[in-house]
Amino acid sequence: MDPLIVTQAINVLYAVSTLAVLALGLAVIFGLLGVLNIAHGEFIMIGAYCAYITQSNGWPYLAALPLTLMICGLLGAVVEWTMIRPLYRRPFDTLVVTWGLSLLLRKIAEAIFGLGYRSLAIPLPGTVQFFGTEYPIYRLVLIALSCAVVAGLVIWYGRSRTGSQIRAMVSNPELAQAYGISVRRLAAGTFITGTCLAGLGGVMVAPLVPVQPFMGLDYVLRTFFVLIVGGLGSVPGLLSGAAVIGGFDSVVSAATNATNGYFAVLVLSILFLWLRPRGIVARG
Amino acid sequence: MSAARLAFAGLTGGYGSTTIVRDLSGTAEPGAVLCVLGRNGVGKSTLMKLLFGYLPCLGGEVLLDGKPIQGLDPSARRRIGMTYCPQERPVFDDLSVRDNLTLMRANRQLAPFREYFDRFPILERRLTQHAGTLSGGEKKMLSFVRGLAEDQPIVLLDEPSEGVQWENILHMEACIAEKRRAGTAFIIVEQNLAFAERIADRYLIMDQGRAMLEGASAEIDRVEILTYLHV
Amino acid sequence: MRAASLVVLVTIVLPLVLSQFWAYQLGLYGLYAVAAVGVGLCWGQAGFLPLGQGLFFGLAAYLSGLAFIAFQDHLLIAVVALPFAVLVAGLLAYLIGLVVFRRPDQSGAYFSMITLALCLLAFQIATSWNSVTGGFNGLKGIPGIPGLDDFSDVYYVSAAILLVVLAFAGWLYTAPIGVLWRALAQNERRLQLFGFNTNQLKSVAFGVSGLMAGMGGAIYAPQQGLVTPQVVGFGLSADLVIWAAVGGRGSLLGPAIGALVVGSLTAQLRDTVPFWEVLMALFFIAIVLVFPKGIAGLAEPFARFLKARTSRPALTAPKSTADKPPARLTIEGIGVHVGEVTILDRLSLDFEQAGIFCVIGPNGAGKTSMFNVVSGELDAASGRIGLGDADIVGLASHRVSSLGVARKLQIPSVFPELSIADNLAIALWSGRASKLQLLDPRLRRWTSPMLRELQARYPFLASGSRKAAELSHGEQQILELSMALLTEPRVLLLDEPCAGLSPAETAAVMEIVRWAAQRLGGAIIIIEHDMSLVKELAEVVYVLHNGTLLAKGSVAAIQADPKVRAVYVGGEK
Repeated sequence: MDPLIVTQAINVLYAVSTLAVLALGLAVIFGLLGVLNIAHGEFIMIGAYCAYITQSNGWPYLAALPLTLMICGLLGAVVEWTMIRPLYRRPFDTLVVTWGLSLLLRKIAEAIFGLGYRSLAIPLPGTVQFFGTEYPIYRLVLIALSCAVVAGLVIWYGRSRTGSQIRAMVSNPELAQAYGISVRRLAAGTFITGTCLAGLGGVMVAPLVPVQPFMGLDYVLRTFFVLIVGGLGSVPGLLSGAAVIGGFDSVVSAATNATNGYFAVLVLSILFLWLRPRGIVARG
Repeated sequence: MSAARLAFAGLTGGYGSTTIVRDLSGTAEPGAVLCVLGRNGVGKSTLMKLLFGYLPCLGGEVLLDGKPIQGLDPSARRRIGMTYCPQERPVFDDLSVRDNLTLMRANRQLAPFREYFDRFPILERRLTQHAGTLSGGEKKMLSFVRGLAEDQPIVLLDEPSEGVQWENILHMEACIAEKRRAGTAFIIVEQNLAFAERIADRYLIMDQGRAMLEGASAEIDRVEILTYLHV
Repeated sequence: MRAASLVVLVTIVLPLVLSQFWAYQLGLYGLYAVAAVGVGLCWGQAGFLPLGQGLFFGLAAYLSGLAFIAFQDHLLIAVVALPFAVLVAGLLAYLIGLVVFRRPDQSGAYFSMITLALCLLAFQIATSWNSVTGGFNGLKGIPGIPGLDDFSDVYYVSAAILLVVLAFAGWLYTAPIGVLWRALAQNERRLQLFGFNTNQLKSVAFGVSGLMAGMGGAIYAPQQGLVTPQVVGFGLSADLVIWAAVGGRGSLLGPAIGALVVGSLTAQLRDTVPFWEVLMALFFIAIVLVFPKGIAGLAEPFARFLKARTSRPALTAPKSTADKPPARLTIEGIGVHVGEVTILDRLSLDFEQAGIFCVIGPNGAGKTSMFNVVSGELDAASGRIGLGDADIVGLASHRVSSLGVARKLQIPSVFPELSIADNLAIALWSGRASKLQLLDPRLRRWTSPMLRELQARYPFLASGSRKAAELSHGEQQILELSMALLTEPRVLLLDEPCAGLSPAETAAVMEIVRWAAQRLGGAIIIIEHDMSLVKELAEVVYVLHNGTLLAKGSVAAIQADPKVRAVYVGGEK
């Protein structure tokens, strides 16, 4: 097989799978709870900086995980309690409020780390022979990890009792209360899960991207477009959105340049908003 | 399950600034059925929502065994012994029939539902299907079984027979009768007078948000009830 | 006028008091203030939040800069070209608005995200398109406006532009269009039901804000001599939002004060005060959550003192353009499905062109859904709806309203933060005011013979300056009903008009309905549960069940109908 095609194919796979994992947190928070957390990118940034701190201190890379979960979890709990609680299912109001949060988090990151880019050393350096071409190991690991995380979450959501209770709460909150589900607590837990997933995504991609305080903006827009195109509130929606946006961006960027790729994604998303506002997989 | 008594006095409330029901009083005694009757829009479902905590009381109180519970939200009321089956959207459409029944239970065992499946075999046949694919009457049966299987002392049912075939309505009557003997207190909103007559110990008949007629079923004349039900 | 004179006076005197450095700073931040006023217009008035205004500021700056460089030997031409840069920015904003606001629901949040995306895209283009924009280092060596080289000149140019923009905005806010913007932010659906194309209103607001940002940007280029991608990017866009919020987004001066005070303070203090920017972010969050009126809110009592209270005579409104002859409403075979559930099942009924008709039926029969299809808010999968000769099925709700269909919603739905007078005025403008007239502040004093009659019956409708939110539930029902009547509709749809009313209020509403039927000569269709009302009012009763028409006839006829009895009383089926 032509090594160039193999490389391109894996690149697309990489783009789609990492996009899916990065979009998970927003899919949970926006798709299930109707909260447009525009600070979603900043939670990814927190994960990336946690990875940076871990590496600077010489700890094993995996130590970034508990650190990130702690910070994103705590922060998510505080934010939910102070800002989000009265605003479920109100995308505009939550956008305004979380915009302030994203500003705050960016400024804090700037104050602590400065505006410059940080690069992390790749935890699993080197390349491997793959279908006649050399491909970085870490990227392959990320693809596998992303698929595992998405698959794991999907299975858990579909099979577990808590997953069923979340689905119940989302589709029929009044009946959920009649069943004895404390909707307030479950919604808060779901929100915190969303922020933690974002942090996790940040830890995963940190070695491959420039880590700087403004990195979150690009992610929140991209993952938002994934949900617009794919459809809110369903797993097939998330996956199809990631496939379309990730694929489109990858191909156009490789063929021309990154700016054109971004432009193409933007135009595509606006077209979807116009013609098929509920996305590829419109939820009932 | 230990018996309990639900009472409400002077209950006034509605949605936002709109007052729908005024000054309603009544009691659900252990082992008795209170049937709430009235045309559409008179406030029967609003009364149920006030009793279960979905709407705030603008006046009056709700007492469980003498203790006021107005401050409790619906999930809390479920936990202190009240069951509620709503009139609209009575099941989780996205979950399977089985999940609808076992969502809050420790495991997914169906043994506790045996007696209900014997009476409503269609539910057992459709266990793995999404509840959204059931007909309106089947959804009501599923909601009914879920509610009664919760085994709570106070059961609030809002139009349980809507869309249900008569033979299954009779099964519902049998289930309610058994629970009554065991000491459960029922408040049931009904449009179907024939069904109400078979199960009610007391009536509360509403019109324009107020109580028009109230008393033991034996003492109230059918003709009088009809004047309030029919257009 | 007192307030305006004070502001102008302060503006003229200020540079004489301040140092040259501050005059220059204010000159720069004055341009940002112009853009901030635009953000205030979108967010504080019309209720949507643009997160990427830098796009328009920067676009105009680049266009202006290029013009000045291209015509550096004939600078007067460049000055003449300035308005074009501004117009391009405004037009682009308007077009973007038209595209994005097309989506019916939740367009607010999506709009914000798209403006953010556009601004980041613009930044990328500005950084990479070296040949035109000078890339990352920007457009350098832009000559200044001839004759304006002093530091104080810089100040006076910016001040002049800011005052012009403030005057313009002030005019728009007091004109009907400003009232409509505020109404839109409070209750968009209700405004559409009065025949106003809210998408276009929002697009116009965004277009004007683009113009304003463009004005700032166009002057920025010759003033600063340099245009970098920073000016089109996220940083400035974010700052504009912060300044508008902290200054007080709902007021006229607030955003400008925010930009001038907070902006220049930040420039001074960000390096000296530790964590200044973090503090500003916290401050912003506090303002949004707790004190949305911002700095301008603190000055409110002072501002009230400055406002002259004059009462001008009322003007009589022209005849309604929707004043067409009465028409018959016919519903033919309408089917509505949501997922697998059939809401309306080939529903067919028709109404005479005049009279009072009641629609009754059990819950879930489809009564409100039928109204929603008629008023254009619910899509029908099949069928036709005739209004006279016209087929109105599938028309947008504001188009249906403009054809003479008025609606009163089940839950009283008015514009709570607007005064009673403004609420009623909006109803009068519906179908009578041309687009150009919406810029004329005199329209706020419109009245009509019908309004005077209503005010005679209900004096509270004349206490114009009270906010609608202060009214009791019953009064709000009557206000909304009056507003619907003022449009002098051919078909009036009332959805449970007496819900939650006391017996006295119910009698009052019944009286208005009878009076309106005579006065307007059209059809009044009422969804009602209360049979005593139906018996009093209805000439014909329609019974709906499971999405179809079950029975139709006089009250006595349907009372005797066994099908109706079965539905209402149930039985052994």
